[in-house]
Amino acid sequence: MFIALRIFLAVSGLSLVTASVAVGQTPAGRNACVSCHTRLTDSRLAKPPELFAQPDIHRESGFACVDCHGGDLAATEKTRAHDAAHGFKGKPAGQTVITTCVRCHSDAALMRRFAPRQRVDQAIEYATSVHGKRLAAGDTKVATCASCHGAHGIRRVKDAKSPVFPTNVARTCASCHASKQHMSSYTLADGTPLPTNQFAEYQKSVHYAALTKGDDLSAPSCNACHGNHGAAPPGVGSVANVCGTCHAVFAQKFEASVHRQIFDKGCVECHGNHAVLKPSDEMLGTGAHAICATCHSGADDKGAVAADRMRGDIDRLKGAIDGTSALVAHVKNAGMEVSAQELALAEARSHLTLGRTEMHASDAVRVDAIIQEGLTIVTGADVAGQRAVGELKFRRTGLAISLGAIMLVVVALGLKIRQLDRQA
Amino acid sequence: MMQQVVDWIDERIDLSGIRHFIAEKGVPIHTQKIWYYLGGLTLFLFAVQIVTGILLLLYYRPSAAEAYESVQFIVSDVEFGWLIRNIHSWSANLLIAVAFAHFFSVFLLKSYRKPRELTWLTGMVLLFLMLAFGFSGYLLPWNELSFFATKVGTAIGGAVPLVGRFLLRLIRGGDDVTGATLSRFYGLHVAVLPAITTAFVALHLLLVQRQGMSVPIEVEQRVKAGERLRQMPFFPNYILREVLAWYVALAILAALAAFYPWKLGKKAELFAVVPPGIRPEWYFLAMFHTLKLLPSHMLGFEGERVGVIAFGLSALFFVLVPFLDARSSRSERSPLFTALAVFALVYLVTFTIIGYFAK
Repeated sequence: MFIALRIFLAVSGLSLVTASVAVGQTPAGRNACVSCHTRLTDSRLAKPPELFAQPDIHRESGFACVDCHGGDLAATEKTRAHDAAHGFKGKPAGQTVITTCVRCHSDAALMRRFAPRQRVDQAIEYATSVHGKRLAAGDTKVATCASCHGAHGIRRVKDAKSPVFPTNVARTCASCHASKQHMSSYTLADGTPLPTNQFAEYQKSVHYAALTKGDDLSAPSCNACHGNHGAAPPGVGSVANVCGTCHAVFAQKFEASVHRQIFDKGCVECHGNHAVLKPSDEMLGTGAHAICATCHSGADDKGAVAADRMRGDIDRLKGAIDGTSALVAHVKNAGMEVSAQELALAEARSHLTLGRTEMHASDAVRVDAIIQEGLTIVTGADVAGQRAVGELKFRRTGLAISLGAIMLVVVALGLKIRQLDRQA
Repeated sequence: MMQQVVDWIDERIDLSGIRHFIAEKGVPIHTQKIWYYLGGLTLFLFAVQIVTGILLLLYYRPSAAEAYESVQFIVSDVEFGWLIRNIHSWSANLLIAVAFAHFFSVFLLKSYRKPRELTWLTGMVLLFLMLAFGFSGYLLPWNELSFFATKVGTAIGGAVPLVGRFLLRLIRGGDDVTGATLSRFYGLHVAVLPAITTAFVALHLLLVQRQGMSVPIEVEQRVKAGERLRQMPFFPNYILREVLAWYVALAILAALAAFYPWKLGKKAELFAVVPPGIRPEWYFLAMFHTLKLLPSHMLGFEGERVGVIAFGLSALFFVLVPFLDARSSRSERSPLFTALAVFALVYLVTFTIIGYFAK
């Protein structure tokens, strides 16, 4: 029971707060389980009390070993402590893990006392997951609560050392899913072996980089697309919806695209799934690295023509922005006030982003319209930048003339002063 | 034609006194005479500030909502607005640099000694007024740097014993630096300070003309011993040299304005996070950095408060120096005061440099 409690606590991302609880209320004082188990030489049996003594949300909330494992906490001998009459269950495994955790974590009234905002439907979700279904079918290799959250020393989800903290989730999933041995008995629907390279692929992705290098805890890990308690592969037809939970505008554009009906795997067709790389403009068009070229080619292919047109538009705006940015930076370094031009360039960059976004609707005309607006803005900034360059030249020329005039006066004054001094 | 105009005026208000003054006024010639030009140079730069300041007033709008944009408009859209603004900014800094140089040269030459105590006192008031001009003008573009620097600067004012809290609210126009502070600084910068400064400049010049140029103690001793003091006519010999110095200053100002335009930075945001590298203008850096180095508590008082008191007493010492330096009053050499001035100069230069490069 105790293990189960821990599991579901962390599963739901919240924690039991302090205070003791009626269920498994542990009397303060001697803990016979700990006294005996810490003296055992078998590490499997000695490790749990050691881990439990570390930061553990259940221990901190007043729970003890007997709350999950049953038995008599006050007993001084093993037989009595492990007496089934005192509810001793030993180590929960398989379905027992779930039922142990559920005892508290599906009890809304109980959970309200410790973590009122915590969900209590994890067990229901779990039952719908691939893990849950297989467990119900008798497969005990699948993940249960303890597999992800741990059994002893369970930390809050927001604790960076928790195995289900956002930056650790993928590695936790990989502990099973990257193991060829562990996954050898599982196959995909078509009978092919279930791949074990998802974690390796994910580590190449822009999502992983954002999460681990960009300190963006909102970046997706396995659970963002597959779910956590209800973990399952998203259906082929639902991939766009899954991506669309974060990339809403792209999903909306894609919905309007002719590709919506053609792409079986939605976004994955172009971006991949686990190894989602940083998208680039090279992916568009029919050039060497273009993904469109996988299906489209030739002057009589409308798709190829549209892809090239969109790519041309985007490249044109990008080039214009780069050129004008260099010009504006140059005059800015010379001390000219260019905030209006910088603002215009920022607006043009927004149009570039809008154009790249609109491209997902596969409508070259709409992309063209957006890019043209951007080009107009860049042209305005460029004209102002050129004017600033002219102004800069004017200032330098003016300064040279002024300094020349001043020097003439200074020389004249010097001569006059010398003349006066000679007269004196 | 010019002579006719002069004659016309002379006929109505007798100009013989002025004519006589100009003809008779002389400037002593000795090895230290070069320092005489600093006073005139300060006056010239102050005149530049008045002219460029009036021109900036035509477009500047003193409100938190419009100040930054109006300066932006001046430097980007107004014909030669960039030149006026840049010269105003650079001239302000040169003015304070030259004023400090004037201060130290007068101090080291002991020109404050009897009978020129009043000239010294008015000069000290003018130096403080220049610093006040700099402090108040710094905020007017309402950019990020000046906004946060003013917050820090006014907070130092709040550390003044007894009246600190009142002073802080008086300067800021509230508990924090806001648009109300900008209004106050604007009023101070364009009305109150110019009026007071004009009066003190007039008084200072009057005293200088009335008493003539001071000479170093050694020269005075030699004169007393019978040596003849050489002099050059104030007009035109000296004044032409002064004008030459002004032209050189003008050339430097023009070059600085064209090659190193004064950056406008980002507009101040009241609730923005303090950006790194916030520091006051260079002429407050020595004081600012010293206060930063002080421990939080000294002698049972807040370190910053002790520092502010120490700076206040130091300023008072410099103001009262003509009355403290008895040896100079007797036209005797006073190495102690020379040493103090050198120490102050070294301290200011060193801490300004350290403060500039400190993170």
